Amino acid sequence: MDSASIYYLGVTLILFLAFAAIVARTYSKRHRDKGEEPKFRMMDDDKPKKDDHPEN
Amino acid sequence: MNQQEGYADDIVKGFVIWSMVWGLVAVLVGVFISFQIAFPQLNFPPYLTYGRLRPIHTNAGIFGWGIGSFMAFFIYITQRLTRTSLWSPGLAKAQLWLFNVVIALAAVTLAMGMNRSKEYAELEWPVASLVVVLWVIFAVNIVMTIVKRREEQMYISLWYILATLVGVAVLYLVNNASIPVSLTKSYSAYAGANDANVQWWYGHNAVAMVLTTPPLAIFYYFLPKATGVPIYSHRMGVIAFWSLIFMYLWTGAHHLLWAPVPDWVQTLAMAFSVMLIAPSWAAVFNGYFSMNGQWHQMRENYLVKFLIFGITFYGLQTLQGPSQSIRTFSAFIHFTDWVPGHVHMGTLGWVSLVLFAAIYYTIPRLYHTEIYSVGLANVHFWLVLTGQLIFSITMWIAGVQQAAMLNATNPDGSLHYSFIETMVELYPYWHMRALGGVIYLAGLLVFLYNIYQTIAGAKTQAVAQRA
Repeated sequence: MDSASIYYLGVTLILFLAFAAIVARTYSKRHRDKGEEPKFRMMDDDKPKKDDHPEN
Repeated sequence: MNQQEGYADDIVKGFVIWSMVWGLVAVLVGVFISFQIAFPQLNFPPYLTYGRLRPIHTNAGIFGWGIGSFMAFFIYITQRLTRTSLWSPGLAKAQLWLFNVVIALAAVTLAMGMNRSKEYAELEWPVASLVVVLWVIFAVNIVMTIVKRREEQMYISLWYILATLVGVAVLYLVNNASIPVSLTKSYSAYAGANDANVQWWYGHNAVAMVLTTPPLAIFYYFLPKATGVPIYSHRMGVIAFWSLIFMYLWTGAHHLLWAPVPDWVQTLAMAFSVMLIAPSWAAVFNGYFSMNGQWHQMRENYLVKFLIFGITFYGLQTLQGPSQSIRTFSAFIHFTDWVPGHVHMGTLGWVSLVLFAAIYYTIPRLYHTEIYSVGLANVHFWLVLTGQLIFSITMWIAGVQQAAMLNATNPDGSLHYSFIETMVELYPYWHMRALGGVIYLAGLLVFLYNIYQTIAGAKTQAVAQRA
């Protein structure tokens, strides 16, 4: 196996692990409720928030 | 609109109206070129030939109607999902002007025959450079709005919006790398098979980042709004999003099966194309499951009808696409009329149905009124659905017949039919396609009339209230 092949394999592996981490986090018990929160909050977005202190 | 009181929605109105103008141009030219194929005597050189008009049709459709609407709804959706007003309405106004200048320049230069000969990347370098400026302005405004958001978590539509902004930028810059030799002519920075590989990496991901991620952002936002019920699973939406992003960029080479690009590149593209069924159908199921207990709205709510038929065509499109990316099937239908049938199910069925719903939803709200006629909206729905189905189904049948004739051989191995014999057999199908286009155009005109009357009625009401 040459260095280019090792590089491609490494990048593929890193991408796969990143994806696996996203799946694990999204479906973890800890994030279950938080992960579904945005779909409820988006139902009430008629006006901008008035507060001067953004949450982020 | 006073920016301190609410969202910057005037600019949304501008983008929606201009995208409808360009959408009408795209369909008018599309119908005309379908007649040019059925009746070749309708070609009038040099400007009104199929070769000159076809890229005008695709550019007006994908970039004028598609991107114009996406700009409108990205601005509309982003403000609401971040619960904050647009970062710079002034910049968005400049963006609207530049957008129209670019699309008009594209139409003029393509009619004059200035063309890079790369599908969906036809624009010569001066116009392409303006596209880059336009996209940077757009992206900065949306990203800065997201940065100053007042919602901690980002709803799935925002992820799709961000992917579009980044994806289009990367694809466009790489594939448009050219060496200008004059103001009106440039040559690609790549050569031979590399050029083809880059072109179809761009070409197929234009499908991803222009005709998939933006309509998905819009679908995920407007389906819950139309039904009044949240999306089935936000987490499934997130996983589908990341799967789509990880897989899509590898698929471009399925346009080059049996071509002189490395065999492993073709196989990789084929494998990832088939794998894409999973995230695509996750979005479809998310849409369907969101309708649990709400299916009666298909009968009662015209917006839901547009959206659910739209996501259904997305589902069919994402089964047909991977099938076409398999070597044996590709060998059969590639270079036949099957392909425009496939493409138009995506553009007329999936993308446009979702955009129609979004426009029907937003225009009455932006103008503080009701839609002029729900009856006309239903007429519009059935006309565009009928027109699109006639178009696509006719082309699939034509493609199979064409492929069968092109592949037919005599016992000695020679071809059974000459190329011209295969063409002659397609005329009845081309007539049917033109008819499908006319029906679709009729539906579009009903839609435009309905929207025009809605806006005109709102303005009359506003004047009466002031008096």
